[in-house]
Amino acid sequence: MRRDPVIAPAVVLIWGAVALFVLYPLGRLLLLTFWNGGPSLDAVRGLLGDWTHRAALVNSLLLAALVGIAGTVLGFAFALLAVRANLPRWSGRALDAVVLLPLISPPFTAAIALIFALGPRGLISYHVFGLTRVNIYGLWGTLLSETLTYFPIAYLTLKAVLANVDANLEDSAFSLGARRWRVFRTVTLPLTTPGVANAFLLVSAASLADFATPLILGGTRFPVLPTQAFLQITGLYDMRGGAALCFLLLVPALAVFAGQRWFTERRGGSFVTVTGKVGAATRVKSLSPAAVLGLAVVCGLVVALVLVCYLLIFAASIVRGLGADNSLSLAHYGHVFSGGLKAVRDTLLIAVICMPVGGLFAVVLGFLVSRTEFPGRRALEFAAMMNYALPGTIVGIAYLVAFNDPPLALTGTAFILVVCYVFRYSLAGTRATSAVLAQIDPSIEEASASLGARRDVTFRRVVLPLIRPALLAGMTVLFIRAMTAISATIFLVSLDWSLVTVRILEGITNLELGQASAFSMLVILLVYLAVAVASLAMRRLNAGSLGQAGTLLGG
Amino acid sequence: MGNWLVTACVSLLLVAGLAGAAPAQTLNVYTAWPESLSQPIFRAYTAKTGVPINFIRLSTGELVARATAEKNNPRADVIWGAPGDGFAAAKEAGIIEPYRPPTWDRIPAELKDREAYFTAVAKNTLVFMSNAKLLKEKALKPPTSWNDLLDPAYKGQIQTADARTSGTALTRILSIYYAFGKDEDKAFDYQKKLHQNVQVYTKSGGGCTIPAALGQALVCIAHMPDAMEAKKKGYDMVVTFPKEGVAAVIEAVALVKGAKNRDLATKFIDWTFSKDMQDLLDKNQVYMLPALPGATIEPGVQSLMKEARLLPVDLDWVGKNRKRLVERWVNEVIKE
Repeated sequence: MRRDPVIAPAVVLIWGAVALFVLYPLGRLLLLTFWNGGPSLDAVRGLLGDWTHRAALVNSLLLAALVGIAGTVLGFAFALLAVRANLPRWSGRALDAVVLLPLISPPFTAAIALIFALGPRGLISYHVFGLTRVNIYGLWGTLLSETLTYFPIAYLTLKAVLANVDANLEDSAFSLGARRWRVFRTVTLPLTTPGVANAFLLVSAASLADFATPLILGGTRFPVLPTQAFLQITGLYDMRGGAALCFLLLVPALAVFAGQRWFTERRGGSFVTVTGKVGAATRVKSLSPAAVLGLAVVCGLVVALVLVCYLLIFAASIVRGLGADNSLSLAHYGHVFSGGLKAVRDTLLIAVICMPVGGLFAVVLGFLVSRTEFPGRRALEFAAMMNYALPGTIVGIAYLVAFNDPPLALTGTAFILVVCYVFRYSLAGTRATSAVLAQIDPSIEEASASLGARRDVTFRRVVLPLIRPALLAGMTVLFIRAMTAISATIFLVSLDWSLVTVRILEGITNLELGQASAFSMLVILLVYLAVAVASLAMRRLNAGSLGQAGTLLGG
Repeated sequence: MGNWLVTACVSLLLVAGLAGAAPAQTLNVYTAWPESLSQPIFRAYTAKTGVPINFIRLSTGELVARATAEKNNPRADVIWGAPGDGFAAAKEAGIIEPYRPPTWDRIPAELKDREAYFTAVAKNTLVFMSNAKLLKEKALKPPTSWNDLLDPAYKGQIQTADARTSGTALTRILSIYYAFGKDEDKAFDYQKKLHQNVQVYTKSGGGCTIPAALGQALVCIAHMPDAMEAKKKGYDMVVTFPKEGVAAVIEAVALVKGAKNRDLATKFIDWTFSKDMQDLLDKNQVYMLPALPGATIEPGVQSLMKEARLLPVDLDWVGKNRKRLVERWVNEVIKE
């Protein structure tokens, strides 16, 4: 494309920001880890000789693969049910609302709820089925919890993909005499393959980075890397060793991201779906009633499990002390709105500031990497997602090390929290922008250009209206993340700025289960509100499949 | 597009403007004690002196990691209330400096660092807390010996802390070491057997309290304040001690090296070791034993403590061997 006077300063600005807030802290941490009066590998030495770390590496990969498979299968089942089963509108909405629940809840909540439901004295395992020897800790418990938490990513991704598969194509196959299974196998499935691969990788990546779930459910029998890194730093007081472990984790994490990119770019590129041509609407008939029933049973069970978990959390928030004194009480909410109010206000303020800053950053970055050419474009894209790929613990420590001393003494301020979120969680918005742009034929922009419009005019008048849904999605994701993230920010909260998630963690570790639950309910409520507002706005923008703000949460 | 970028920069600057340092004359404290225990004490100090205290509650490991990263520009003035092993690590990392409050000489030697880098504010002990309902269901007596826990009836029913994350776990390892007459091999043999009955090792020291309170596990081995908190909340828990004894570990206080408000910090530490403050531990039901001899101890706590056989801990030895003990635990006890 043509060179343009507006692009260069934008590139410089974005590059500068990424260099300062992604590369610089990571560089400082690399230096701390591998420089001891000279280049040194003594932080790594011994780490790989340790059986727990070797086991952790294997376990992390295994878990990511299993969660990826289970999550994708479950997500596909839900997506089929939602898109292809001709469900009434309200049930589709209800499905979305429940499915979103684990994805938007604060960390630890899902894992704790699962113990209440399926632990040795769990509501379902013991009180309903009378099982006494259930072991929820280890691979299976972690797998179950992470699958429940992350399958919505696959669901939302695949739902969008399935919705974009023109039902007319299936119709043609039917009229050629193919049976349902054959149509599914030879038409629907091949058309969704890139989406399935994408969903698998997104879910795997989320599992690779998750440290909260294994922290609670993994136990000593199932160590994984992000948790080991956290333990190395906070348990053995070995920051260099912990950092080294994180850099080890960076390898598979980046491989997954590279794979994910490859699929969305290479394979997805051949399915341009927004062309201006419109197919005739047709009634979907690719699922037999038996298949719909089967899907409904599977999905119904999952939905029931999720609901039980969250009802337990809700119950814990409205009784005096779950299990000890089950009388109803609003005392925990009272605490949230008195002593906890500052944390709520701080969190909301930070989340609200993050939205425009991060949304804008995401959209500009997404536009630059997918519609312009400049030297270092790939490198910029890669650098911008580093903070997302790395476990939060390490990002938090890196920020602490890099931004504690003048002239960049940012620790202790709200600024550092905002920056941390913006550069860690803008990826969703960037991806959304790229995805939307990939679906928009460049000829639309070319038409504007050939009519004589300058590049910035084209961007403002043509591109921006088209990517408004992406901006909105990016901002919504940022809001959700800012309300629920903890791993990085536990090191960045300060004497002046506190966060709700940190209060939840405190509640869980300090026996204040009721308070933790009340805070969790409040966060869930606020996030639902935000998502509802965003969806409404999306609908007004006619955003189609992007109407799900949650679509990009995983990416 | 240029306009958009300008907007972005302006909003970034606006955010930067919101950032402000804490007002002067405020004391900044990092603590590992739960808010319910620490805040009343900090409030009492503010009420008495008018000096506001800003505090963050972090787990011991997070606290040390954070203070270490902030070494060149410390944000906290005092580290107040965290287990002794964290302070051993903090001393090694060079983030605290020696300070002797006026009453330092009266604190028993086993409750303070020889070079005064840190001093115990209180003595903490380990307890067995058992779920009363489950005990009855299985017709078990509450455990009163380390060996009781090896009974197959407890298989998959014990929760306790992971040695890599929790000071409580170190207390447990030390307790077993001292209870078995400082015979390290015997102590580790015992722990391997105990491991067979352990359901899960939790990441935080008090992490097993809720599961035990709710019956997900029968026994939780944790610190005294966790157990008393659970009882206070109304959970039916039985608190017992092993007759062979438990290690008495310290909850300490230290001055941060290069503290910005050094004067305020030392005054606060002086007050920490005054009888005024030491009496508060009892009055606020912290369920730890005050470090200063002569401080009040409630009769209830006293009688409870009579059952406990507290074994003195050699802080120097612990400082030198902590890492090795944890590594041995990882490589021998939990390896399968």
